[in-house]
Amino acid sequence: MTISISMNGISTTLRRAGWRLLLGGGIYITLFIVALLAPQLAPHAADTQHLEQTLLPPFWMDGGHTDYLLGTDVLGRDILSQLIYGARVTAIVVVLAPLGAALTGSCLGLMAGYLRGWTEKVIMTLVEIWMAFPSVVLAMLLMVALMPGFTSVILAIILVDWTRFCRVIRGEVITWRDRDFVKAARLSGASHLSVMVSDLLPVVRPTLMVLITLEMATAIMAESILSFVGMSVGPDTPSWGAMIARSLNTVFSAPWQLVPPMAAIVITIFAAMMLGTGLRFSRREQTATGDEVLV
Amino acid sequence: MLLPPNGSADELQRLRAALGLDQPLLQQFLIWLKNLLHGNAGLSIRSGEEVSTLILSALPVTLQLVTLAILIGAGAGFISGVLAFRYRFTPVRNSLEVTNAMALSVPEFLWGILLMLVFGIGLRVSPFFGEVDPRLMVEQQTGFLLIDTLLSGNPAAFLNVLSHYLLPSLALALAIAPTLMRILYSSLNQIYASEYMRSARLRGLPERRLLLVHALRNAVLPALNLMSVQAGMLIGGTLLIEKIYGLQGIGSLMIDAINNQDLPVIQAVALVYAICVLMINQATEWLQHVLDPRAGV
Repeated sequence: MTISISMNGISTTLRRAGWRLLLGGGIYITLFIVALLAPQLAPHAADTQHLEQTLLPPFWMDGGHTDYLLGTDVLGRDILSQLIYGARVTAIVVVLAPLGAALTGSCLGLMAGYLRGWTEKVIMTLVEIWMAFPSVVLAMLLMVALMPGFTSVILAIILVDWTRFCRVIRGEVITWRDRDFVKAARLSGASHLSVMVSDLLPVVRPTLMVLITLEMATAIMAESILSFVGMSVGPDTPSWGAMIARSLNTVFSAPWQLVPPMAAIVITIFAAMMLGTGLRFSRREQTATGDEVLV
Repeated sequence: MLLPPNGSADELQRLRAALGLDQPLLQQFLIWLKNLLHGNAGLSIRSGEEVSTLILSALPVTLQLVTLAILIGAGAGFISGVLAFRYRFTPVRNSLEVTNAMALSVPEFLWGILLMLVFGIGLRVSPFFGEVDPRLMVEQQTGFLLIDTLLSGNPAAFLNVLSHYLLPSLALALAIAPTLMRILYSSLNQIYASEYMRSARLRGLPERRLLLVHALRNAVLPALNLMSVQAGMLIGGTLLIEKIYGLQGIGSLMIDAINNQDLPVIQAVALVYAICVLMINQATEWLQHVLDPRAGV
């Protein structure tokens, strides 16, 4: 078992996992490209107001205009452009938050599961206290404490969600730590740290990957929830959740405005789930641990 | 924030003393804790009302919402799980599977908005704002409107309140039902492979009895376990759903408090949330113990 995935491994994974991984991956690659090229792709600047053309419907409906393909919001801002710029927030959150949560959570989970004893007690008590708060509530509390801003959004999601990684990784490590290969490593003089990093980490890697894809979905949800209640990025940075919140104010006169940002959120979450299911199917034959990661 | 911009340093000092902010941090916390144990969670900075009164008047709304959501969600998840398994060799399973995957990728607050758009605004079949029609007067007795309307013998008002709660609790239910269905399906699958199921079948028991009595009893356990994990998610979900549907529960209270930087309220509500989650966890654990004494406490 090596940490790096060989090219051979990737191609067999693709063959076996097939369409799910391709679909999910494809959607994310599109998201990243759109986010990266936002200034080039967007027909208008996201915050340019056209006050004489507010609440336009999409171009195929009566009164629509081909200048504003998906219509405009209450301040006459182009919805398509806001959607494209909003992809940037999502793209950054979807990468950084899961990585941060995975790093924190699996470090602590490895320590708790491998070292046992009081280390485990301290860590797991912390996890239990943490999990007593609904994640949405905790995230909002953290946002109050951290002051609004993009970094705090990511930090808040990491600080809320590390517990999932910690719990699952710990559980998995406990089932592996008494195996012969761990003992052999210890006997041949490996330190605890080296056993955790080079023997146990590779074993839990498949689970970790699945957890990360699930966390991608959670991170998108969390960001959209926070920006929906106005606690995420500032009002000058477009984000999908904030778009939904704004269009709710004019839902009676322009219900169609809700559709693009909602669809964008749902599609990205769906893609993350496809990645997760795809990965799980692709490793089903390799390990016997099965589906316990469904948390 | 509580002072006019031209407030003097002297006034500032007095306000700090009044709010207890001149004490060291640990002492502030201990004072808060002590007052809390006496049932006094302090005054709202914003409105000057007792925080405990605010919470007590908001809590019934949230509790009714959560109860309805659990009933609908658990019911739907349970039934669809069993149905999907019963008809696992037919297209019924696949259609349930697809619905399931779709339901899973829509966060609950989006369900809330979607349901509101379709049934409230589009088809106009269901009310979607507030707790009860403003035209109907309900005497307050317990604070739980659903119970109050029944107590005062007013079925029309009861149905009205129920219809106000229907969409929001459905939205929440849609967030828990899919995972429940998955877990139930896969644990039924495992159980059907076990020895005792084979021997029960060999004894000639009818298929229906096999599924509903022998398999289901054991399959429910992992599902219950999951419910306790999801309790936090469900309760967290009420936060946004209340805001969207204009229900004055503790979620709306919390969001308003955060927007107003009303710390005493934020603290207290967060505590209430934690207590709710712990209580649901305890309840599921207890239920698990009742259903399967082997599980231990």
